[in-house]
Amino acid sequence: MLGLKMSRRDFVKAGTAITLLAAGVGKYSGDKHFFVKASAQEEEGVSHIKTICTFCAVGCGILAKVKNGKLIGIEPWEEHPINRGKLCAKGASIRFTVTSPKRVKYPLIKENGKWRRISWDEALDRIAKKMMEVREKYGPDAVFFAGSAHTSNEGAYLMRKFMAFWGSNNIDHQARICHSTTVAGLGNTWGYGAMTNNFNDMRNAKAIIFFSNPAEAHPVSFFHIMEAKRRGAKLICADPRFSRTAAVSDLHLQFRPGTDIPLVWGICYEIIKNGWYDEDFIRERTYGFDKVREIIMQYPPEVVEDITGVPADKIREAARILATNKPSTLQYAMGATQHECGSQNIRAFAILQLLLGNAGKPGGGVNAFRGHDNVQGATDMCVLSHSLPSYYGISEKAWKHWARVWNVDYEWLLSRFGSKELMEKKGFTMSRFAVGALAGTEEFPVERAMKIDQPSTLKIIFMWGHSTPSLGDTRLVKKAFEEVELLVVVDPFFESGAALAERDDGVIVLPASTQWEQAGSVTNSGRQVQWRNKVIDPLYESKPDVWILLSLVKALDRYDPGLYEKFTINFGNKSPDEITPEEILDKEITVGSRAIGMIGQKSYRLKKQQEYDYTFNPETLRAEGGPCDGEYWGLPWPCWNERHPGTPVLYRNDIPVWEGGHDFRVKWGTKAPDGSSLLSGVNGHDQIEGWATNLNTDYSEWLDRNMVPSGRGRARMYAWNMKDPVPVHREPIYTPRVDLIDRYPTYDEEVYGKFHYRVPILARMLQKLYKEYNIYEYFPLTWTSGRQVEHQGGGAATRSNRVLAELQPEMYVEINPYDANERGIRNGDKVVVISPRGLEYGAEPSRIVVKAKVTNAVPRGVVFLPFHWAGQFMGEPYIDRFPSLEDMDTKPYVYGESANTTNPPGWDPETQMQNTKSGVCNVVKLGQEKELIGQLEKMKNIADRILQYLNEKYATA
Amino acid sequence: MPLKFLMDVFHSPCIKCKGCEAICKNQNDTPEGVFRIRVVTINEGQEGQINIPMPCLHCNDPPCMKVCPTGAIYKRSEDGVVLVNKDVCIGCGYCATACPFGAPQFRKSGAFGLDGKMDKCTFCVQPYNPKDASGSEIFREPKSRCSMVCPTGTINFGEQADLAKKLRERAAEKMASGTLESIFVFF
Repeated sequence: MLGLKMSRRDFVKAGTAITLLAAGVGKYSGDKHFFVKASAQEEEGVSHIKTICTFCAVGCGILAKVKNGKLIGIEPWEEHPINRGKLCAKGASIRFTVTSPKRVKYPLIKENGKWRRISWDEALDRIAKKMMEVREKYGPDAVFFAGSAHTSNEGAYLMRKFMAFWGSNNIDHQARICHSTTVAGLGNTWGYGAMTNNFNDMRNAKAIIFFSNPAEAHPVSFFHIMEAKRRGAKLICADPRFSRTAAVSDLHLQFRPGTDIPLVWGICYEIIKNGWYDEDFIRERTYGFDKVREIIMQYPPEVVEDITGVPADKIREAARILATNKPSTLQYAMGATQHECGSQNIRAFAILQLLLGNAGKPGGGVNAFRGHDNVQGATDMCVLSHSLPSYYGISEKAWKHWARVWNVDYEWLLSRFGSKELMEKKGFTMSRFAVGALAGTEEFPVERAMKIDQPSTLKIIFMWGHSTPSLGDTRLVKKAFEEVELLVVVDPFFESGAALAERDDGVIVLPASTQWEQAGSVTNSGRQVQWRNKVIDPLYESKPDVWILLSLVKALDRYDPGLYEKFTINFGNKSPDEITPEEILDKEITVGSRAIGMIGQKSYRLKKQQEYDYTFNPETLRAEGGPCDGEYWGLPWPCWNERHPGTPVLYRNDIPVWEGGHDFRVKWGTKAPDGSSLLSGVNGHDQIEGWATNLNTDYSEWLDRNMVPSGRGRARMYAWNMKDPVPVHREPIYTPRVDLIDRYPTYDEEVYGKFHYRVPILARMLQKLYKEYNIYEYFPLTWTSGRQVEHQGGGAATRSNRVLAELQPEMYVEINPYDANERGIRNGDKVVVISPRGLEYGAEPSRIVVKAKVTNAVPRGVVFLPFHWAGQFMGEPYIDRFPSLEDMDTKPYVYGESANTTNPPGWDPETQMQNTKSGVCNVVKLGQEKELIGQLEKMKNIADRILQYLNEKYATA
Repeated sequence: MPLKFLMDVFHSPCIKCKGCEAICKNQNDTPEGVFRIRVVTINEGQEGQINIPMPCLHCNDPPCMKVCPTGAIYKRSEDGVVLVNKDVCIGCGYCATACPFGAPQFRKSGAFGLDGKMDKCTFCVQPYNPKDASGSEIFREPKSRCSMVCPTGTINFGEQADLAKKLRERAAEKMASGTLESIFVFF
């Protein structure tokens, strides 16, 4: 073993973190005779490079097998503290994604209906020229930049910085439609909008309640969940489907999509009624219990049974399990966040955990499982239209802070924007940017009437590592892609949006390399920052994201002299080839990101942890001895300085801050509007003056006194600044329970204001029209969507992976046998899923053609669609529009309809999260959809009514 | 001592993440249609749903070996791995009907596949094409990757004695904590 360690260090010295493999052999040799024979000579010349999986946010480690610079396979990384070598289908087949022949090999441009190869220089120059032209003519806000959660922290950070230097807030990424409501919901409750604990910590739970389906979406988390179960933990699964998670749970709460809040309140009702709540915790560490109790007591289990469909006894049983098996933890993901009341769903979860006193404890907390490998990091870097990195917002104060970090004048930054007002105005989001491109255009009458809150419509859209299938209302997005003057797609694979748009010119596709061909830091769902080593050099002509971004700035510099110099001043104005991710992390990110305490995660510490992975105890994730002694794996933020071990469990106040202690933030002043104190009853203190903007402190002065720089405050059960200070049930806009609409109406338009992230939003009006026109009679099935274990996100990477394509080759709709039989549908039939989407803007109802999967996994009246698919639009395949040149075929192995063509309207008033979880639809056999559409003739009035409303409301705009 | 798989589907239920299927393809480069391991679901979508990974069980007295007319199938004496000599195999398919577990695999295309050779789980000692460029046989360490990546611990692998030891330790741990019954009440 000594020899092994030596070689490890030597390699690190040489600048890479390659380890020689002997580990597997060494582990078994000695006492087992037959392994002597098996000494494998094929390992010769093979290096094993430690790296991180690029799919979901569990952050699994993988050893990449490289020979002569080629990726030849992978091995389980058994000493990785999070996954110990465990992998799901996606991670285990990642090699086939990286080396897929379907990769985009060189930059492409579409001209006169044909794809043509161009050079990087030409491509970047064309984009830069066009950007400057648009800037002159329409201003900087005519550009929309969709960034990515599939890049490193450095890539994501540079994207945000790029748009700041360009002079617009029109930048957003997957987090908007993924966990933006988590940030709003949890952030407004206790300070930070992130998973409070981590995956390993779930072993300590005595009960776990799931509000998503981690068995399929985050399979490796089950390494720890199953361990908890083996230790006696009770599992409760709240899911409208009988999912694979439900199959291994002790109790299944099968509720109707969109009724999360009443379900949680039903559980809370029982907890309060039986006195199971943690009185001390509530008294010392929370605010607003009385106000919350008032609301909760309106939801006894019988009422909840009527709303949700879950038997009252099961709700009581769930409450009993959670209250008598403490600490209990709560897990959720997209199923809870993607609703118009998403922020409130998450608030309800947090309040449940506060009632039980589970917050800030190992084995407790609210565990938001995030979707992409670096979506936590990209969210922290705020590739978002309403904030600068590290959640500083876009106020003048925030801009001045980052101007200091960037070493540029605030006045200069201001001069880049259209105006100071635009500089401090939230930009378009992923949910509704299409309106920004379509307002005032001819296609759909309602879109024409839409006004937007900026001088010009969008003229250039960047889709940089963002998928189209995950965006709601594909038809509108398609139109937006067709309407803009230039569409730029940057992706390792041919992202379907570039083919979806039916246009002959004005599309440029740049080949980004996969994350295994570039180095950088990534933050997993548990806020653990890990260093991802570069495994191989970029294949073909593909380039790392950081390089492409810097080169784009350089190309712009030609027309906008001085930009590159200002952009890279902290990196010595070196060329794009020379600037390393380490520099970006050490010199800017960990200098400025003080509001989340991302300060101590310097690259050398991350690399040291990686080298001494075996010193970390997988139970506690803490290094015992060795060079990292005392550090927690991944230095989870807040990590206050370079001597701090990180904070694995947020808000845990029973250990010293130097050991990872923390507390609820003092974010809303020290006194609530009603005069009661917002400082914790245990050593409470205000946040340190200037803690987030002082670039020169290492906080040790306060840490030594066991003070938390962000204060020791109270969690707010009552959040007076939110649209609903206490969550209340609101029926989805399109709901199958029309009888409940008036009792539990959705938000009024006024809640969203005249403009919401620069676009008008309709909500209550749509719901009223839905009822008035009896839309539900024609669309009696509840529509919901989710994931397949073999695919991820928009599926560009997984559908181009031959193994995953073989394991899951199909898009389908899950339908209950009863509903199927009523419609004469048999398993495997081609069917049309048709939804009222589009009626509200004067188009035909949207529909998709998929295969029927008749199964009891969905209850009667509910259909389920996986959302990873693209390549077919409203029954018409567009796979032929994917470029197929002599030496390159970018068509994915498998394709299908995008579920989100048929998603319902609905946007969260806090974050503009789209609703992709609870809508209505109907399913008919292929060929019978005409009949149904024919019956909807009278609904054409709906668009006229909306048009009239918009014209009146925005007449003076 | 022979090596064995143990499918612990009651104590550590499989969630069908298919990590085993994918890592097998990665490790052994099996072509389309050949699955040395496959996860089977019983009672899908309803109470009592259970997923069971099904690889070759490397029988002590393998029926596939008995029926093989050319003697291509053999059991390695030192570790009990059941292997097929692809130079000798004629692809008749008798083994496929003799095996009660569906372990023998053939390529997807063609009657019994293009190259006609049977393929099966080898505990990862052999890739799909067992010869390297110079024509010599590739033999690797018997270390089944499916058991190494299985997140739930459903797939266990090792010598029979080791597996027995593991079960005993697990039971003893439960006995010590007075929760022995929790071993049995999984479903």
